Amino acid sequence: MIEADINALIEGILRSDRRSIARAISYAEGANREIKKEMLALLYNHTGRSQVVGITGPPGIGKSTLIGNVASLMSDMGYNVAILAIDASSPYTGGSLLGNRIRMQEALNEKKIFMRSLANRGARGGLSESSIGSTAILDAAGFDIVFVETVGAGQADLDVMDLADTTILVLGPGLGDQVQAIKAGIMEIADLFVINKMDRDDSYFAMKDIEDTLAMDDARPFTRKVVGTTVKDMESYRGLIDLIKLHGEYLKESGKIGEKRFRMGIQWMIEDELRNRIIEPIMSKIPANSRNKNYYSIIESIGEFFSETMQEIKEDKII
Amino acid sequence: MAEEQNYYHTKLEEIKGRFNEREDKSLKRWRDTTLEQWEKISNPVYGDYENSSGIKIKDLYTENDLPSDIQEISGFPGEYPFTRGVYPNMYRGKLWTMRMFSGFGSPEDTNERLKYLISHGETGLSIAFDMPTLYAYDCDNKKAVGEIGKCGVNVTTLKDMEVIFDGIDLSKVTTSMTINAPAHVLTAMYFAIAQKQGLDLNSVGGTVQADILKEYIAQKEWIYPPEAHLRIIRDMMTFCTDHARKWNYISISGYHIREAGASAVQELAFTLADGFYYVEMGKKAGLDVDKFAPRLSFFFNSSINFFEEIAKMRAARRIWATVLKEKFGAKNPRTMMLRFHTQTSGYSLTWQQPLNNIIRTTVEAMAAILGGTQSLHTNSYDEAMALPTEDAVKIALRTQQILAEETGIADTVDPLGGSYYMEWLTNKMEEEAMKYFDKIESMGGILEAVKSGYIQREIAATSYRRQKRLEDGKEVMVGVNRHVEDNEKPLNILRIGKEAEERQINRLKAVKSGRDEDSVRKALNDLRNAFLDENKNIMPYVIEAVKSYATIEEISNVGREIYGGWKEPVIV
Amino acid sequence: MVDGKNQSLFKEKPIKILLAKPGIDGHDRGVFVLAKAFRDAGMEVLYAGLLPTPEEVVDTAVNEDVDVVALSLLNGAHMTVFKKVADLMRERNIDDIALVGGGTIPDEDKPALESMGITGNYGPGTPLAVIIDHVTSRATESRLRKLR
Repeated sequence: MIEADINALIEGILRSDRRSIARAISYAEGANREIKKEMLALLYNHTGRSQVVGITGPPGIGKSTLIGNVASLMSDMGYNVAILAIDASSPYTGGSLLGNRIRMQEALNEKKIFMRSLANRGARGGLSESSIGSTAILDAAGFDIVFVETVGAGQADLDVMDLADTTILVLGPGLGDQVQAIKAGIMEIADLFVINKMDRDDSYFAMKDIEDTLAMDDARPFTRKVVGTTVKDMESYRGLIDLIKLHGEYLKESGKIGEKRFRMGIQWMIEDELRNRIIEPIMSKIPANSRNKNYYSIIESIGEFFSETMQEIKEDKII
Repeated sequence: MAEEQNYYHTKLEEIKGRFNEREDKSLKRWRDTTLEQWEKISNPVYGDYENSSGIKIKDLYTENDLPSDIQEISGFPGEYPFTRGVYPNMYRGKLWTMRMFSGFGSPEDTNERLKYLISHGETGLSIAFDMPTLYAYDCDNKKAVGEIGKCGVNVTTLKDMEVIFDGIDLSKVTTSMTINAPAHVLTAMYFAIAQKQGLDLNSVGGTVQADILKEYIAQKEWIYPPEAHLRIIRDMMTFCTDHARKWNYISISGYHIREAGASAVQELAFTLADGFYYVEMGKKAGLDVDKFAPRLSFFFNSSINFFEEIAKMRAARRIWATVLKEKFGAKNPRTMMLRFHTQTSGYSLTWQQPLNNIIRTTVEAMAAILGGTQSLHTNSYDEAMALPTEDAVKIALRTQQILAEETGIADTVDPLGGSYYMEWLTNKMEEEAMKYFDKIESMGGILEAVKSGYIQREIAATSYRRQKRLEDGKEVMVGVNRHVEDNEKPLNILRIGKEAEERQINRLKAVKSGRDEDSVRKALNDLRNAFLDENKNIMPYVIEAVKSYATIEEISNVGREIYGGWKEPVIV
Repeated sequence: MVDGKNQSLFKEKPIKILLAKPGIDGHDRGVFVLAKAFRDAGMEVLYAGLLPTPEEVVDTAVNEDVDVVALSLLNGAHMTVFKKVADLMRERNIDDIALVGGGTIPDEDKPALESMGITGNYGPGTPLAVIIDHVTSRATESRLRKLR
């Protein structure tokens, strides 16, 4: 890609042109690492304004519908909202049915909300590799709120906490099993909790369970909260919106907006660089049947090769 | 609910228990000697013999495969449980009704066609509607552009129905209308015309499809969420039971479920499950099951796997009779009779080598007749492409006439009754359907199973599986994946022009400028109030609304404002 | 078929396809079968749901930056509705998203649809492999345009 094109693309993103944004996300998803890095490097100067709201929770709990309704209401309130939703790819064929969109299609149509589906392409942790770049693009495009819906395939979608400014865990009545299913630790990462399907009789107990857990929070700078929602009452979403706003204000005051994302982006670039310049070239030299040889010496020499640089980093001479 | 689940579950065990796997020494001898020797000489290449429902077909059926008490389980024709037919003499007394459905273009075109049919002695009219009418959109709605008159006739206001039935005495004909979500509006229009002709509604005969459950399952033509439509059906049910006794306000349809890709067992199970739901609903509305349930009738598909289709229809009758009697407490044998209309399968037709479709339709029509249908529509060979031409329709009708009058197929009642294979398969279909009823009950009933998308996903899985089998050559469609011809000649097909659209839009303009807006507003407002009161019956208000020349969309919008629309669960 | 060089276009970013029935038409057996078939062929598949307008279809195609939009209708309205989608794409100068069609489309309508850039136009009974091949070759064109 030539310089002029990428500049035109950046310029399009900055004036929030939908096609530029959509195309840029395709680059973030694509195989061309050079374009990806160049684009993201140029965009990072314009990021750090959006509140990225990660939504995670077990499958079938109604995350997409919830996001659709919340996004629609926030859009009415004057917020400029965008949505990223991650679907699982088949590990066998690489194919994916991107089904999240259809669950929120109505809201998207009415409010002209920007929404993009991303296949996770085998990435673990409930996100796709491209979600880092994609949030940066949407941030730079000036969206106030960017919702990121994780795969929610039952495993712990823990990575979302590193990407999102605000992490919301959506649960439903019959909570005990769900927390079991998504494993311990996830309660720790969430900033806000939602009990969806509040119209069900047993939801009260789920609320109570969470409240009891939160009561044991010690000395967190932000007091975590739980709220109930139901599709049967649009007003029920306003409570959640208030909490999202509250957390947003806390982040702004404490200067934490975009902090984690920035780190994650840098980390991704470092890892990408290492993988492409060191790990993959080395691995390509190692035959499939490698049991007979001792490659540990290579590891040793890599370590030695970098020792000088690492020393300088430790002594703060580089960063 | 636990008790109900128990019913289907117990029944399932009972059906399984009918097969007592005895050791058959003579069959074993045959296998070990005659069959084995023959296989040694002939080197057969066996396929996988499996029907649409995934039921494995054995190489040979013997007495051993008959249920232990076949006479009792089957019964006599005209007697409970009606396995062998609802009437004692079946077609010996009266042939099935050859009902060919039509309707296209503008109301004027359809009126002309109906009058033509009547002048040739036809008294059972059957009307198809276009997509905007089926979804209750006016002909001038943006969404309707290009669709007016394409798949049937367009009806936007009572004026259109007046044109369709101009010069036709509604006391002398019965009319079947293939309409679902807005069935109450079309019924109201029909009643309004009858009243204008000075007729008592109790003397007006006809049928609307109005089976909304199968819309959510298969045809996907709804306006509101299920609960709203079901309330409307309840109101039609009670209104017609009281005021229009000859009006069949529902035709419970498996046809579309099958066309959407279901197997024969799925068609059987999901259709009857829908039927059971309507029975429960009528009972909940305080109606006597022996009073309203005899008005319920069915509509099945007859597809290409000959024996499977026949077994399906026989099993359907037996299941319905048994469940109505045992579970719903019906006393009158008429209530237990499953009467049905059949249409041959559209999905089995191919646009490749279209004349082959005549043969397919013939086989499917034979299955419907041997399955004991009450009326039959045979598809035309060009229907894989478009609405049929007149010539193609004529061959389809002649197919039925040849079967009826030349072949002797209708000479005796249930000719396949007692066949080892047929009786085994009938039982098997019944067993597989019962498994679905059991499962559906455990999910909280058919409505929940539909709302969660379970039924739709079951169908989508079957249809994908079938496509894969076609691709792998495990199933054959001649002209599609075997005996393929290149350079086929294109068919002459029926084309619907733009005239119908212009005509309809102009008529709507004229109606709107001529009607009294105050009475339209009042009628719609009264309807709104009726909707808001669960205890009120909306039908009289719908009739008033159509009489004020409110449009189908205006009338439906009253409900849309109250109930909203409905979004399908994600199927794939 | 697509040659080996172009196949690599999709190695890291699979073909992305939007399935849509932009008319008043609930016949969805075919699109469900296709959705699963495309997924199993390694594509990323979106379905636009029931009764989307042509505008909604084009908006979705743009936001999702798909390679191909596959239109299906079995209600005889393809000449009006498919054209509407093609017109909207042209008005918005979108030339890097391919349109393919399918459903009950008479042979005599196919040249007109092709001239609007809507190719394939397969009827019921077409082998999935034929459709997948066609989509892949149209997606290749789109992908090369996107990269120019």
